[in-house]
Amino acid sequence: MKFLAQDKLQAFLGHLAGESRVVAPVKGDDGVVLFRPWSPGTEVELDVLLPKQSAKEFVLRQSETYLRYGYAMEGEAAAQVDDSHEAKVVLDDPAERKAAQDTAVTAHAALVVEPVNDAPAQVIFGLRPCDARGFVQMDNVFGGYGGFYFDPYYNAKREATTLVAVTCRDPRSTCFCTSVQGGPASTEGADVLFTQVEGGFAVEALTDKGETLLASAEFVDAAQAQVLYAETVKETAEARVDAAFDLEGIQEHLRANIEDPGWHDLAMRCISCGTCTYVCPNCYCFNITDEMVEGRGERIRTWDNCFNPSYTLETSGHNPRDTKSNRFRNRFSHKFWYYPEKYDSLLCSGCGRCITHCPTRIDIREVLSVMGSERTAVPATTGEEA
Amino acid sequence: MASTQNTAGGNGKSRLTFADVKAGVTTAAAGTLAGNPYLPQIATIIDIIDETPNIKSFRVRFDDEAVMDALAFDPGQVGQLGIFGVGESTFAINSSCSEKRYLQFSVMKAGEVTSALHELNVGDKVGVRAPMGCGFPVDAWKGKNILYIMGGIGSAALRATISYTLEHREDYGDITILYGARTPLDLTYKYDIEDWQIRKDIDAVITVDRDFPGWEGRVGFVPTVLEEMAPKPANTIAITCGPPIMIKFVLQGLQKMQFTDEQTYTTLEKRMKCGIGICGRCNIGPRYVCVDGPVFSMAELRELPDEM
Repeated sequence: MKFLAQDKLQAFLGHLAGESRVVAPVKGDDGVVLFRPWSPGTEVELDVLLPKQSAKEFVLRQSETYLRYGYAMEGEAAAQVDDSHEAKVVLDDPAERKAAQDTAVTAHAALVVEPVNDAPAQVIFGLRPCDARGFVQMDNVFGGYGGFYFDPYYNAKREATTLVAVTCRDPRSTCFCTSVQGGPASTEGADVLFTQVEGGFAVEALTDKGETLLASAEFVDAAQAQVLYAETVKETAEARVDAAFDLEGIQEHLRANIEDPGWHDLAMRCISCGTCTYVCPNCYCFNITDEMVEGRGERIRTWDNCFNPSYTLETSGHNPRDTKSNRFRNRFSHKFWYYPEKYDSLLCSGCGRCITHCPTRIDIREVLSVMGSERTAVPATTGEEA
Repeated sequence: MASTQNTAGGNGKSRLTFADVKAGVTTAAAGTLAGNPYLPQIATIIDIIDETPNIKSFRVRFDDEAVMDALAFDPGQVGQLGIFGVGESTFAINSSCSEKRYLQFSVMKAGEVTSALHELNVGDKVGVRAPMGCGFPVDAWKGKNILYIMGGIGSAALRATISYTLEHREDYGDITILYGARTPLDLTYKYDIEDWQIRKDIDAVITVDRDFPGWEGRVGFVPTVLEEMAPKPANTIAITCGPPIMIKFVLQGLQKMQFTDEQTYTTLEKRMKCGIGICGRCNIGPRYVCVDGPVFSMAELRELPDEM
């Protein structure tokens, strides 16, 4: 185990910033702590346990252009196409119109489509173990687990990213990482784990990528006392996270309770804003749209929100998830039943952001305690929600 | 059969890396979707057929001849057809698997992408990602009677499968096609219907919802006509596709006629985005219509939440 003195942190990050982008929790002028690109001299905010958003944005961009295309109108050919088009529109001689159409087709022949996949090296410093684990949990869907498709955009960024996690000294009342097989000092997904001790950090490399980082001169070997102190910090933190619900059998219970009216009751106060999906470190569902201006365009993917009624709305007007409780049920079932069934991984790392940021105080722990356990027979409700 | 199905691609249950994809470890990375499954192949429209007042069929050919030559798909598989600048939508590949000159998609004018497609001309460029999803288990059906029950543009989803069973006629027992549309004008693939009615080795019943000037054929809704036909379930596979309400009543009818869930198949459509099981859009419970479907047996559907 290594030791990094508190006053060497800036030097270490500065060192990293010389080789790659560094992202860290930074307090903005508005007082909000978010993961932001770090520059030398900026203070890293580790006293606030969780930045408002997870760090997923730096691997799965909130909005990402993945194709650029152009009905290429450059050069001589393009100029001619434009001229002839302008001129022929007013002519109604069929032969000339045909010629104009042929030219237009030629212009289309110059269609160029290029993938865009920028993945510069980056280090995300100061994320909590739950956020680091969030990436691991998403990896399976993007990594073609079980023979499905491999996503080159997510994986390029993922591979170019080094995660430096920091043990949670002071878990919040909304933390429930220990209920989902994690913990305040969980190492899953992290390349390096920092643990705050007196005067600095006890530091352990967990992967080859992590080893490389610790080769930096700012690190010294940790003293035995520091190692023991770090262990105590971890154990104390672990003990402070309450058990929220029982994971055992949750998949089967969710399956059995699929038509249970309890979903309706729990979803009543949801306003379908989708905040939980955006702040979540592993809600990954996305939309795809095209934007084009003057013959040049982009195909873009953006975070999406399965609570939005238009998420599943079909052109015909048919909506397979036409009630709020069905959409509500989908998110929780996705995380604890659908995803685990397909990818052998949970899709929740217990950060609790969805609890703290929900405007109507919906608590995932309550939802799972109720719907993820055996339900006694309840008479079906007669009313359907609006 | 082309081995383009993308489930359990020979690598067991592990995550892939760029190296795996490069080495072709996954079957999902084969063919036109190798490397970057989001990147459409540019294709040219070589023919457009007006099927009905609001349905056109587009025959498209990949500009890259090598891609065209290598194309192989199973009956029932789908593709994403799109226009750069507008977007992509999912359509069944309805040309025959043996057709090497083009891929055919039939498009009903309804939303943004389909309306834009209807504006295109021969020679225009489109983007195509295909094939996707799982086709019908036509090999497992060998020796069985096949009953197709389809309505409206549901015919597009079954056309490649009908072609396959007709091209391999000796492998199957009786083949029956029940096809209905609102009016005679709404019947797709009239050239196919003529062929079916001439052939002696298939039984085709064409119906329209209500009387129509000049129509001398059968009149009645598909589920009603099916009941009148009273097909026997013995050694028979029933495959249905059409508007949701038709499918609902057809499935009820089949159940009444003692067709089991294992004998009954349908193919679903859902709003889709990526088409490759990642974006999370088209799930019904733990299954994605794009990669686990669009073909499902009734037995599979019974396991899923009622979110059709």
